[in-house]
Amino acid sequence: QQLKERSGVMTGFRGFTHLSVSPLSLSPHCWLLSFKSPLKPVSKLPSGLLVASLENYSPVSKIGVFVKAGSRYETAENLGVTHILRLASNLTTKGASAFRICRGLEAVGASLSVTSSREHMVYSLDCPRDDFEGTMEYLINVTTAPDFKPWELSDLLPRVKIDKAVADQSPQIGVLEKLHEAAYKNALSNSLYCPDHMVGKISVDHLQQFFANNYTSARMALVGLGVSHAAVMKVGEQFFSTHTGAGAPGAVYRGGELRVQSGGGLVHALLACEGAAAGSAEANAFSVLQRLLGVGPHVKRGSNITSKLSQGIAKATAQPFDVSATAFSATYSDSGLFGVYVISQADSAREVINAAMAQVTAVAEGSLTAEDLTRAKTQLMADYLMSLESSEGLLEELGVQVLSSGTYSSPQTVTQSIDAVASSDVVKAAKKFVESKKTMSCYGHLANTPFVDEL
Amino acid sequence: MASRAPAATSRLMVGFRKWYYNACGFNKFGLMRDDTINEDTDVKEAIRRLPEQVYNDRMFRLKRALDLSMKQQILPKDQWTKYEEDVHYLEPYLEEVMCERKEKEEWAKK
Repeated sequence: QQLKERSGVMTGFRGFTHLSVSPLSLSPHCWLLSFKSPLKPVSKLPSGLLVASLENYSPVSKIGVFVKAGSRYETAENLGVTHILRLASNLTTKGASAFRICRGLEAVGASLSVTSSREHMVYSLDCPRDDFEGTMEYLINVTTAPDFKPWELSDLLPRVKIDKAVADQSPQIGVLEKLHEAAYKNALSNSLYCPDHMVGKISVDHLQQFFANNYTSARMALVGLGVSHAAVMKVGEQFFSTHTGAGAPGAVYRGGELRVQSGGGLVHALLACEGAAAGSAEANAFSVLQRLLGVGPHVKRGSNITSKLSQGIAKATAQPFDVSATAFSATYSDSGLFGVYVISQADSAREVINAAMAQVTAVAEGSLTAEDLTRAKTQLMADYLMSLESSEGLLEELGVQVLSSGTYSSPQTVTQSIDAVASSDVVKAAKKFVESKKTMSCYGHLANTPFVDEL
Repeated sequence: MASRAPAATSRLMVGFRKWYYNACGFNKFGLMRDDTINEDTDVKEAIRRLPEQVYNDRMFRLKRALDLSMKQQILPKDQWTKYEEDVHYLEPYLEEVMCERKEKEEWAKK
C-alpha cells in the first residue's frame, strides 16, 4: 500500500512546444535498427549511491530517487515523521525556495511527485528530455538539502488532517493499517499515517534527525528512464553524503488481532499469516497461491468464475451483493504477509470467513489441478508484465529492485522464476497459512465475526 | 523611525552610533530597535515567523513601553536597553521575506 502526494503538479501544456522528436519515431526503417538491450548495469558510486538507467527513447524522462526511509524506520519518538516528510517535499530547500521549485517545474512542464510506502520513499520527477539538466537541480535540492522552516511546517498541519480524514473514510486502508499493527512488534507495525497523538508535535528536530539518519547516499538509489547513463551518473555525483546513518531493526512477526467496532452493515476482515520476503522463491509461491485463490474479477461486472474464494463463498451464503473475498499478499525486504481479505454482510460474516478458510485449507490438502496452477501462473505473469508497461510501474519496479538487491532482474528472469513454481510449492504455501499463527484485523459491525482463535 | 547606519563598523563610527542610539530614546522604554520598526506587510509576515520565545519577549517589551508611555514615565536608568544588548532579531526573517517577495515579482514579470 502506498500513498501518493502530487506536489507541484504542473503537467501543463506549455512544455510540449519544447519537445524534441524522439530519434526513432519517424524513421520508416526503424525496425531494421538492431536494438541492443538498453538497460545498463547498475553502477555503484563511491558514496554508496546506486545508479541505474534504462533508455527507452521516450520524449519524457523520468527520474526517481528511492530512499530507504519508509515508515518502518520510524522510532517510537518520531512516529508519523514520514507522513510529514512526504507532505514537506515541496517546501523550501537550501538551494531553491518553495515558490521557485513550483514555478521552475511548471515552466518546463515537469512534475514532481512523492510516494511513500512502509519501506521506501520515492521522489519521482517527469520532465521533457531536453530540460533534464535544469529540473534535476530541484530534485537534488529536495532530496539532499531540505530546509525545514518551522512556519512552513506548521502550515502543513491542515494537510495532515485531511490525509487522515480521507484514510478514515476508507475501511480498506483502516483494515490494512490495523493488520500491520497487529502482525508485527516493531518496524513494519508503524502506520503510514501520522498517529493522532503526534499530529502537530512533529518538530523540525524530528525531521532533521530522521533526515540525517536515513537520507544518506548509501541508502539511496537513483533510477532514470529515458536518459543516458552518463547523465544520470553526473546527477548521482551530487549526492555525496558519506555518513552511514542508523541501522534499523528487523521486523518481528507476532500475530495478533485488532478489531474496530464501527457502524454500518458490512464487515471488512483481513486474515493473514507471515509470508515470505520479497525476491525469495517462497514469495513467488505465495503470489501464485494468491492468484489461484482469486484477486478480484478479471472481467468487469463478471461473476469471477476463476476465483476459488468467490466460488466457495457463493456457496456458503445466499447474499450475492456486498460479499467478496480476495487473497492478499504483501512482501517486504525481510518479511511478508499472506492471507485473505473478506468483505461481507455483518450477519453472515462468520459463514463467509469460514468458507474462505475452507478454500485455502482445500488447497493445502492438495486439491489443486494442473489447469488451475497454469492459469494462476499465467495471470501472475501477465499482471507483472502489464505493470511494467507504464513508466510509473517500470520506474517503481526498477527502483525497488535496485535498492533492495543492488541489481535488476529482467522481466524474462522474473517470469521464468514464476514459471518454476511447482504445485508442491503452492501446496506448501497454503499449508503454511493454515498452520501458522494468524493475524486478523476487522472493521465494521462485529457481532457475528469470529475471533482469530476460533478459526 | 530609526534610520539604519551603514553596515561597515569602523572604530570611528562606533562612538557616533552609540551616541545616536541613546539619542533616539526608545531604549528608555526598554525597547529594541526591531520593536520599533514600522509594520508593513513584509514586517508582519516576518513577525509571524518568529520563534515563540522571541515573539513573546517582543510582545512583553511593547506592552511595557505602551504602559509607560500612557503613564508619561520612563524606566530607571539601569533598565534602559544598552547599545551592546540590542539584538536585531527580526532582520534575518525580514530579509528572507523580502527576498521571497522579490522572487515572486521577478517571476510575475516574465
